[in-house]
Amino acid sequence: MSVTLALVVGGLTSVGVYLITSRSLTRMLLGFALLGHAAVVALLAAGGEAGERPISGDAPVDELSDPLPQAFALTAIVISFGLTLFLLALARRQAQLTGDDLVEDDLEDRRIALETEAEGDDA
Amino acid sequence: MIWILLVAHLVGVVAVLSLPNPRPAFAVALTAPLASAVWAASRLGAGEIDTARLDWVEGLDLAVSFRVGPLGALLAVLVSGIGVLIFVYGQGYFGGGDRRGFAATLLAFSGSMLGLVWADDVWTLFLFWEATSVTSFLLVGTKSTDSTAVTAARRALLVTVAGGLVLLAGLLVLVDVAGTATLSEMGPVTGDQATVAAVLILVGAFTKSAQLPFHVWLPGAMAAPTPVSAYLHSATMVKAGIVLIGVMHPVLGAVDIWSGLGVTVGLLTMFWGAIGALRHADAKLVLAWGTVSQLGLMTAMMSLGSGKAIFAAVSLVVAHAVFKAALFMAVGEIDIRTGSRDLRSLSGLRTSMPVAFWVMVFAGLSMAGVPPLLGFPAKEAAIEASLKESGASGDLILAGVTIGSVLTVAYTTRLVLALFSDKGGESTEVAPFRWAAAAPSVLLSALGIVGYVLAPSVTDWVVPAAATLETASAGYALLRWPGLDSTAFWISMGIVAGGAIIGAAAARHSSPPEPVGANNVDRLVDRTLDLAKWTTGRVQHGSLPIYLVVMALVASLAVIPFLGSIDTDQLHAWDRPLQAGMGTTVVAAAIAVAVIRSRIGAALALGVVGLGVSALFLIQGAPDLALTQLLVETVIVVGFVIGLGGLTTQFPANGFVWRSVRIGTAVLAGAAVTAALLASAEDIPSNREALTAAAVDEGGGNNLVNVILTDLRALDTLGEVVVLVVAAMGVLALSRADTARGGGAPLSDDVRKVRR
Repeated sequence: MSVTLALVVGGLTSVGVYLITSRSLTRMLLGFALLGHAAVVALLAAGGEAGERPISGDAPVDELSDPLPQAFALTAIVISFGLTLFLLALARRQAQLTGDDLVEDDLEDRRIALETEAEGDDA
Repeated sequence: MIWILLVAHLVGVVAVLSLPNPRPAFAVALTAPLASAVWAASRLGAGEIDTARLDWVEGLDLAVSFRVGPLGALLAVLVSGIGVLIFVYGQGYFGGGDRRGFAATLLAFSGSMLGLVWADDVWTLFLFWEATSVTSFLLVGTKSTDSTAVTAARRALLVTVAGGLVLLAGLLVLVDVAGTATLSEMGPVTGDQATVAAVLILVGAFTKSAQLPFHVWLPGAMAAPTPVSAYLHSATMVKAGIVLIGVMHPVLGAVDIWSGLGVTVGLLTMFWGAIGALRHADAKLVLAWGTVSQLGLMTAMMSLGSGKAIFAAVSLVVAHAVFKAALFMAVGEIDIRTGSRDLRSLSGLRTSMPVAFWVMVFAGLSMAGVPPLLGFPAKEAAIEASLKESGASGDLILAGVTIGSVLTVAYTTRLVLALFSDKGGESTEVAPFRWAAAAPSVLLSALGIVGYVLAPSVTDWVVPAAATLETASAGYALLRWPGLDSTAFWISMGIVAGGAIIGAAAARHSSPPEPVGANNVDRLVDRTLDLAKWTTGRVQHGSLPIYLVVMALVASLAVIPFLGSIDTDQLHAWDRPLQAGMGTTVVAAAIAVAVIRSRIGAALALGVVGLGVSALFLIQGAPDLALTQLLVETVIVVGFVIGLGGLTTQFPANGFVWRSVRIGTAVLAGAAVTAALLASAEDIPSNREALTAAAVDEGGGNNLVNVILTDLRALDTLGEVVVLVVAAMGVLALSRADTARGGGAPLSDDVRKVRR
């Protein structure tokens, strides 16, 4: 396996994780897109060494790159595309409703946390 | 026939619920149990075995499977036969009113119980086991406006369902060690795994049969209407645990801990239940605690496991079902006709309710084990089984059974004496006599005598049933008269005499007892909920970024076990030198995405990443991917520019600490993914030849990737298109929402309060 590709996957994942732990929906979205890239490159790296484009007749069969991971990767690209656009629409809607695109704390979770804190004060 | 009868119960439930007129609810409901009882009675003592099996997932050995042998027939006669009487009794107990729901639930229980005693597959058994728990819950909570009943129902459900989970775990272990899920195909198992299974299954049985310390739910369940108490909580459902111990005896009986644990818990329960029965002043509670006690004796006998003991256990199950149902029915009749069950206040019932009096006398004598009633030979069998045990443990068992039996006689005596004594002053007022409420108890009470007279016939039914569990049971018989030289007989007489004296004394000095027990379960439940809330409050602050950091960290740790399998032989620096250059570009652009604080700038940097990845695809030899990526990236960048139009141009900044945590997590996650990927490197032979052949010959195309997507995996691609369509619809709906709403809606108070 190409160590370079593995490092690229790691780098994309790092930045992706950094971004999705942000409070800004837009940055989370950028993070998701990067994680999507990481996944596709990982599929490709797992598919074996580079080769000729997998078109029958262009080169001897042995020299072609493996087409199966490429088919998977293509699916992955399209799905992450759909996801990214959907998240983008969500971020936009959030911005319209609240004026910014920051992720709110979960209401129920906060309520429970506040209740237990209040009980702790009583005790 | 098995299928027909079980389905008949189901059809009956639907029929009762859809009756236009509530009047005949009980009459319609009793048809299915009646048919089952008649069919099962015709098979009593017969050697034939009926089976029914419906395979579901053969590879997993999952099937619905039933097997009706002598034991199944005997138990079915009890379940369905008493069921029929309960429906008749229910008609009298409730008098009028719409009871369709109640009758239907009771019928559903009856069918579940039948399925349980007929099951030949552990999963079938478990399914019906749980079904009886649920129907029991519904029936205990019949008075859904009464908070006592609802609490009791919840408690019963929690204890029995928790036990059900333990049982499930035990069955999983058992099936693993026995190699089959079919009960009739299981051979004896031993070993550590079998011990684990044995303990878990016993605990499951203990919860259902109200053994210490799980007995707390049963007295509370007396909040149910009396037909339910008489049926579920004395005659049938609580026997499920005993039956389970019985059917597991051939499989797990050889496990060391099996009989020790079962006998100890059983005898302790027998003792503690009897003490409880002596303390209470509510006649129904006395019977409930008495049931706990009797179940203890049956548990002890069934798990003792000798031929005589199993025989005694099966006899006791039969005798107990008959007399305890009669006792409950009589107490229920007293309850509805006087409005009270209090031993201390009811007065003059001997003359005003003679039928109930004689029913309770005969059923009580049977419970006490006095001839000429069916309880006597059954109790004799239990004492003889204890006598047969040798050594110190045998003496202990005999002592336990004797003491428990003395107390049994005592609380029975006390119950009958106190309930029917004249307390001085005026006699309690009594409502008019109802045939339907009295007749079933008279019949059951009379069966106690008939059963004694026809003891040889009863033996013919009980012995084959016991022999299916333990072949050594075959030689025994229920003896009407064991003879004066029988030790057991003299012990038995001593028990009756001693118990009667204690009982008579207790009836005179009836002090009001403190209600004990069940609060512990409630407290446990409350504490659990508090703990859950506390944990949730501490762990779950509601901040999505924190959750994500925790998840990323945990996921990164999961890589550690794989680090050792990185094989450097499988690795090389790059496939082509160009890869290194382009890889560096991609990572640099990705870092730029994170660093740039302007939204548009970050979006453009993302575009650079996408282009770089495209180039990597080209280098790898994947032009289709490169082309798609290019297209997608263009649309996404355009989307960002349009979509983010209304927002501030800069991202907000973070505090230093939090930023450091995020960076640390990110680096760790990246390293983990790289390591996982490197560890997974392995030289897998590609099937290019086969794919090429398939693509060219079958797909008719030379571009392998395209043919895979549009032909070989066309269905997947269709699914993918559907995902895209759904996403597009979502995007459309979200972007149209603002035109309809006209921008920023006000925040709700809740949101404002919680926002920080």
